[in-house]
Amino acid sequence: MAENILVVGGGPAGLHSAVTLADIGANVSLVERDSFLGGNPKKFKYKFLFPDMQPADDVIGELIKRAEKNDGVKIYYSSNVSNFKENEKKFDVTIKSPDASETKTFDSVIVATGFEHFDPARDAKYSYQLFDDVIDIKDLERMMGENNFVRPSNGQPPKNVAFILCVGSRDRHVGNQYCSRVCCTVSVKQAIELRERFPDCDAYIFYMDIRTYGFFEDLYWKAMEEHDVQIVKGRIAEITSGPNNTVICKGEDTLLRGPFEIPFDMVVLASGMEGGPQSSEMVDKLGLELNEHGFLKPQNVTLAPFKSNRKGIFLAGACTGPKAISDSIVEGGAAAMDAYIYAVKNK
Amino acid sequence: MEYDENGVSIVPSEFKKEIFEEAKKDFRYEEYVRGCLNCGVCSGGCPPHRFFDFSPRIVLQKMKSKDPELIWAMMDEYVWACFQCFTCAMICPFLNSPGGIIAILREIAVRRGLESAKKVLKPYSRVLLKLTAYGNQLSSDMIQPDFFPDWGPHIGYASADLAIKRKAIPMPTLQVTNLAWDVAPEAMKELYDIFDEAGVFKIIESVDPSLYEIIEDIVDDVRNS
Ligand SMILES: Cc1cc2nc3c(=O)[nH]c(=O)nc-3n(C[C@H](O)[C@H](O)[C@H](O)COP(=O)(O)OP(=O)(O)OC[C@H]3O[C@@H](n4cnc5c(N)ncnc54)[C@H](O)[C@@H]3O)c2cc1C
Ligand code: SF4
Ligand code: SF4
Ligand code: SF4
Repeated sequence: MAENILVVGGGPAGLHSAVTLADIGANVSLVERDSFLGGNPKKFKYKFLFPDMQPADDVIGELIKRAEKNDGVKIYYSSNVSNFKENEKKFDVTIKSPDASETKTFDSVIVATGFEHFDPARDAKYSYQLFDDVIDIKDLERMMGENNFVRPSNGQPPKNVAFILCVGSRDRHVGNQYCSRVCCTVSVKQAIELRERFPDCDAYIFYMDIRTYGFFEDLYWKAMEEHDVQIVKGRIAEITSGPNNTVICKGEDTLLRGPFEIPFDMVVLASGMEGGPQSSEMVDKLGLELNEHGFLKPQNVTLAPFKSNRKGIFLAGACTGPKAISDSIVEGGAAAMDAYIYAVKNK
Repeated sequence: MEYDENGVSIVPSEFKKEIFEEAKKDFRYEEYVRGCLNCGVCSGGCPPHRFFDFSPRIVLQKMKSKDPELIWAMMDEYVWACFQCFTCAMICPFLNSPGGIIAILREIAVRRGLESAKKVLKPYSRVLLKLTAYGNQLSSDMIQPDFFPDWGPHIGYASADLAIKRKAIPMPTLQVTNLAWDVAPEAMKELYDIFDEAGVFKIIESVDPSLYEIIEDIVDDVRNS
């Protein structure tokens, strides 16, 4: 009889796990809390993906299609794990859907519950939700995705836009000391998109460190070389209102040395990633552990990054920490391998 | 003391090291100086940064350099641009306190009666006198056009006929013009004991000996009354 494996979360990581497992013959149950698959990129309608500006629909759409078309993957939409019990190295799990409740026995489990966007309203200095023209990167992704990029305050195209990095990351005041890894690259990518589509609009990036790691650095160079994006070293201390319906970014230029107060038509906050309430939910329901940053904790970050603290339960994607889609997909495949081996050995 | 060819006194490097060691020994030091992201948030929120060549980020960086020369150089003038508003401490993502480190350096300068402290405190001798002798800061008779030109064109009117104007203020404690309110001798004596214990009189003696003499006379009079 085929192995029964549960995958919780239908984002890039969970989708790739599910399809990989089904392809090697397992029976996969994929539980997704939303009414659709695709995770955060789908939910917030990301338009083009770094590093190579592929349309998100092509990438995420392809992952979804592979799962939906695969007979080995049973998808539970708008569902969650309501009961979870270990039963002699196997797991008795109740999956609650809107119209039914089903209990099954699984040989192993993959948790791919992903991340939540940091809510910038939690950090008052950025005046998010106070000024209409202060938005964040996920809002901008959605605006670009919906082809509706205008100033929320008056519906006009902006003449200049500021991107502010490290919002909700690398800041003890909001409790997040870690770097969210993708927001530098996302912001640089967004600045390029903006300059391409609205050449009359100036783009500024205010940074503390630019972390376009690895090949993502190409985008950073391109932003300056081909798109004249202004890159200013200085973390913003405060956003206030300015004359003529502008918002002012205030800070210190730490390289040229001196104060600046620049009025912008629009400000985009590069809010980071958080483990979100779903990570604690997995801790409560499945007996997993959180790390000190609020993400799920692997058994050994170097030796066993896809194993959880509980035998037979594996981890993949952004639920263990901020990462890009490519990393999440890679992890989905790797966790699938671990989960399959466990299931085969314990039959 | 030695002097260089321009007549400026040469401060021995041993002394500068001693100052740095004293700062490090302060019980608040470890709490105030942590890592630094060099992000500039503190300076971005710092009021004087906007108007002077002064950046709390640079203060913190120089502290972290552990170079007694750099730290000494700040003590002369740089750190005195700070208002001690502690905005920096409130907003630093690393939970540093550049304003706190500045307080430590300035307290050393005052305790040791360094030239910089003397220079900065000179214009405040009247305030220091009222504060230490009577526990008041400003009194109405101190508000004179010469001293407070920034109070605008009506300062002349505001500073005339003080006794009558003060009578219009109903609280009986406000009937004096040479103080903000009348202070009972018992309260003053208690205040002096506190200043003695805290070493405040000693500090004033070292930064402004002639001011100290005036204060001493008043203190003796009150204590013997
Ligand atoms: C603004 C922004 C832009 C980005 N752009 C790019 C880009 O251009 N290129 C790139 O490579 N990366 C990008 N990323 C990173 C990318 O979003 C993540 O790497 C990726 O979404 C992680 O995939 P995941 O499957 O681990 O998690 P998620 O995408 O978060 O998916 C998790 C899924 O699990 C579901 N779930 C959660 N809890 C439960 C539960 N209890 N029960 C059932 N289901 C649950 C969720 O509904 C969701 O569908 C971006 C990130 C941000 C913040
Ligand atoms: S990726 Fe960049 S913007 Fe995001 S937290 Fe790290 S340094 Fe800050
Ligand atoms: S305490 Fe001093 S350094 Fe800090 S913000 Fe206030 S004035 Fe600036
Ligand atoms: S805000 Fe804190 S971390 Fe940033 S430069 Fe100032 S002292 Fe350093």
